[in-house]
Amino acid sequence: MDIGLLGQYLANGVMLGTMYALVAVGFTLFFGVLDVIKFSHGDVLMLGSFTGFTVYIGVLAMGIENPWLMIAVILIVSITTTAAVGALIARYLVLPLKSAPPLNILLITLMLGTAIREAVRLFYPDGSNPKNFPALLPTASVDLGGFALRADSVILVGAGIAVIIGLNLLINRTRLGLAIRAVAQDEETAKIMGINYTLIVLVTFAIGSGAAAFAGIMNGLYYNEVNFGMGLLLGLIGFSAAIIGGLGNIYGAILGGFLFAGLQTVGAVALPFASAYKDVFAFGVVIALMAWKPTGLIAERSSDRV
Amino acid sequence: MKFTENRRSFLSFALAASLSLGLAGPALAKETVKVGFIGPLSGGVSNMGLGGRNSAALAVALRNQDPNAKYEYELEPLDDECKPNVGVQVATKLATNRKVVGAVTHYCSAVAMGTVDIYHKFNLPVIVWGAVLPDITYGNDYAEVHRVNGTMINQNETAAKFMTEQGYKTWAIIHDTTDYGKGHNKYFSQFLTERGGEILGTFGVTSDQQDFTAELTKIKELNPDVVYFGGLTPIAVRIRQQMDKLGIEAQFQGVSGIKSDAYFAGLSGDLAEGTVTFLEGAPAEKLPGGEYFMAEYEKAGYGEDFEAYGPFAFAAMSLLLDGIEEVGPDRKALTAYLADVNEHNSITGSVSFDDHGQNTVALITTYVAQDGQWVVWEDSEYADGTRKLTGK
Amino acid sequence: MTDKTTPKSGWLGLPPLAVGLGAVAATAVYGWLFLLAESEIAVLGLVALAALGGWALGRTGLPDTLDAAMRGHGRSMNGAILLGLLAVIFLLGEEHFPLLMLTTMLLYMTVALGLNVQFGLTGMVNFAGAAFFGMGAYTAAVLTAHSAVPPLLILVAGGVIAAAIGFLLIVPVVRTAGHYSAVVTIAFGVLFKTFLEVNDVLGGPQGLMVGPMKLFGWDFNSSPVLLGVEMSFYVNYALLGGGLAVLAFVLTQRLERSWLGLTLDSVRLDETASACFGLNVVRAKVLAFTFGNVLAGVAGALYGMMISFIAPNSFTFADSLLMVSIVLLGGLGSLWGTALAAAIVVLLPEKLQILQEYRFLLFSGLVILMLLFRPQGLLPRKVRSYFPSWRPQQ
Repeated sequence: MDIGLLGQYLANGVMLGTMYALVAVGFTLFFGVLDVIKFSHGDVLMLGSFTGFTVYIGVLAMGIENPWLMIAVILIVSITTTAAVGALIARYLVLPLKSAPPLNILLITLMLGTAIREAVRLFYPDGSNPKNFPALLPTASVDLGGFALRADSVILVGAGIAVIIGLNLLINRTRLGLAIRAVAQDEETAKIMGINYTLIVLVTFAIGSGAAAFAGIMNGLYYNEVNFGMGLLLGLIGFSAAIIGGLGNIYGAILGGFLFAGLQTVGAVALPFASAYKDVFAFGVVIALMAWKPTGLIAERSSDRV
Repeated sequence: MKFTENRRSFLSFALAASLSLGLAGPALAKETVKVGFIGPLSGGVSNMGLGGRNSAALAVALRNQDPNAKYEYELEPLDDECKPNVGVQVATKLATNRKVVGAVTHYCSAVAMGTVDIYHKFNLPVIVWGAVLPDITYGNDYAEVHRVNGTMINQNETAAKFMTEQGYKTWAIIHDTTDYGKGHNKYFSQFLTERGGEILGTFGVTSDQQDFTAELTKIKELNPDVVYFGGLTPIAVRIRQQMDKLGIEAQFQGVSGIKSDAYFAGLSGDLAEGTVTFLEGAPAEKLPGGEYFMAEYEKAGYGEDFEAYGPFAFAAMSLLLDGIEEVGPDRKALTAYLADVNEHNSITGSVSFDDHGQNTVALITTYVAQDGQWVVWEDSEYADGTRKLTGK
Repeated sequence: MTDKTTPKSGWLGLPPLAVGLGAVAATAVYGWLFLLAESEIAVLGLVALAALGGWALGRTGLPDTLDAAMRGHGRSMNGAILLGLLAVIFLLGEEHFPLLMLTTMLLYMTVALGLNVQFGLTGMVNFAGAAFFGMGAYTAAVLTAHSAVPPLLILVAGGVIAAAIGFLLIVPVVRTAGHYSAVVTIAFGVLFKTFLEVNDVLGGPQGLMVGPMKLFGWDFNSSPVLLGVEMSFYVNYALLGGGLAVLAFVLTQRLERSWLGLTLDSVRLDETASACFGLNVVRAKVLAFTFGNVLAGVAGALYGMMISFIAPNSFTFADSLLMVSIVLLGGLGSLWGTALAAAIVVLLPEKLQILQEYRFLLFSGLVILMLLFRPQGLLPRKVRSYFPSWRPQQ
């Protein structure tokens, strides 16, 4: 295999890995603060990209033509709306069940995801059909020996990585991040220290959902298509990535995201004429990993063994 | 039968009493006869299904306006979502409903392959209006199954001939792994090899796949003149889109399954430009009854276009209703009637069923995407040399 | 109102057995009417009647009397329920579609009973129910097409294959807990469907034909003639499906009442404590997991033969969710609840055309409300009681 082709595979893998990591980071944030799995995350992502698509139509109708301005408006509106949705979900569906068995929260959010998905399919105009998401980024490409490096892909990956780094800084370097980590570590103590627990939980869910909206728009700009079912697989992959990385650890999520993308790409390269098996391969490895490391590669520190 | 009717009336009596709701409608002068329509009314190819449904509904509406019609017809449209398992479910529902006498069914070949056995099992006569896989009629001996549109064999023969005549030498084939995509792959590969074309690689993809970069990266390495896709519009859109992402400079060639306006709606910029595809039958405006059909369709004011197979759905439904008028609302009699259809007049030309219930549609039309619509090749700017296909 | 204080005296002063038999007869008649109802108004009316009736009768203390009837006259009551089911099947006689729905419901109930043992008793949630159901169906497709295995054995084979493939998951499922365990079954459910889609040998996305059930030379796809009336061939499947559901019910009930059931319960409530008391947690989990998968596989095999055509899309993650929601809707661990919920989840959307499209939306909404306001389900499982004179509650 020549270098150009290898570069192409690598670029594909990095692109996927960035998207997966963004989704996985959300899962891991929610698990960190509340010890819950919010399975509607993938569908919240889809909601984000549909919001973005709707905003695009609106902006187009208002006569704004500059693509950069359009992207800015799309991102701002979509991320804030989705973040608000995330906070609402936390407030009315997740927090009330906090003392119930953890699987109930998993179930309620799974069902919420289904509800969001079905609602978009049924109530969004012509929602059951894929939507043509506009290509707003410059499409110039550099040909590096059989490997086309496109400007839009570079921008998307760059922006994605910047968001991940930003989130990491937010968690580890700011007062808000300190509060989030405090709540994650010990709810009771954090409350005693004067941290507004409910507020921190809601903010965390808003941040995670906002990141999902970003990933959703990134996905739309990359594939130029959004559809109501896109969140299901992305959510599943993001969840698996967060799990194999080890829940509650932001580095674990990033590691898991790139690992999963790597598995898919390796699956596609190793089985060139059966590349459709790449998902089977990737999920198979996830199951095997779970058997080997039942709490993820970067394991949770707490343990309930007696 | 008697027993059932008694029970039904008891049931409706009981319900009417318990709910105090009168169920009796105004007395009808004519007996009501139910006919079915099945097509993809939702999902990625829904515009084809909706066009077909509107056309079939138009045939029923026109018949109901006819004072000489012996029966009042009621259409029951069902959605198969272009998924075999859903198709089998709705087909079972339709076939087990004793009130339904006949049906016009299926755009998706994969679905039709699953349902023909159901129609045979419950003796429901059907006329296929859009599915093109030969095996639907030729793969069985079911007297119940007929088809007004042509099969994919002729289409791929013309495609192979046309493309080799344009001077293309090498192909990469992508097909979906349903019977439909596999059928296209089989016939196209066969005709292409006969004409000396070389196939560099064949890739099967699933019908709801999102990311094709792995397959396309491989294709890029193979560097073919043409990328042939045997499948339906939604995937064709994704593949064409991602070909551009990876910088693949090859001519894109489709099959009848992508001849739909959704192909243009799904593609940004001018990516659709120059795509070629093939369809059996003549375009609606050149059909014998095309003008009449288009005028009536316009008048009925449907929200959607009738698309490539609308005229066939109209012809199939009209034929079905002609049969019911002739032999009465009885499944067995209708099946017998359809077996003898010969040179029956329809808007798509005369219909004759062979002993497998297959109509012969010899004419294949070549289309090319030009300025956001499908243009018959001979009338296009590509044919007169103003524009050129990729790599020419 | 006196019933409330002295439930043993029976509802409206009638002896419990009479009330119980009456209730079974009423349910059978209702089921028959409901399956035959065609117009939306009729269906909606019947649904409203059931909801209102259930609420009103519940207030007058009927459930207690029914409990008493089931406890005191178990044999007669079980016989009556069996007779009621048979009566409904034969009364539907020549109606293809209602019988198809009834059988589907019975098979879904069988699967949900298995999931109930996994989830409700042992606390292992299985999000791959549809996958195990599908394994049974695919086993049936392959065996009917390529072998001369007697179809009754195919049902068994469906169960065995499902269990065998389930064994591959044993290590990760048993080693992991909670969310980590959920991801294993979710990943497996997706993997199964994707594998079927890309694997040409098993028909790919196109799907496969499944041959009919045959029993002692009797082809299930030919119509039986009874008293001179030609019945729908679905009667065959309904009878066999009914038999299967009853068998699954009895097995599950025996399991729950046995010391094994007690072990499973304690594993769910506290794994660590159970292990401390010398219970073999791993063995209990393996048993529950396999039991559930076998039931799903057997039901899937019969489902495949009845529906005669299967495709990967029939066994998606959404279908697994539907199965889990049956268990949850009925009430964790509650067997009668599962039966009731299976009827609601399978029949209602089929009957209400308008609901068809909104089916998944409706159920997701319903389950969300359920989890928020009535997490114990429609017919909650009764707490075990350990007094010497204790008879199992239904």
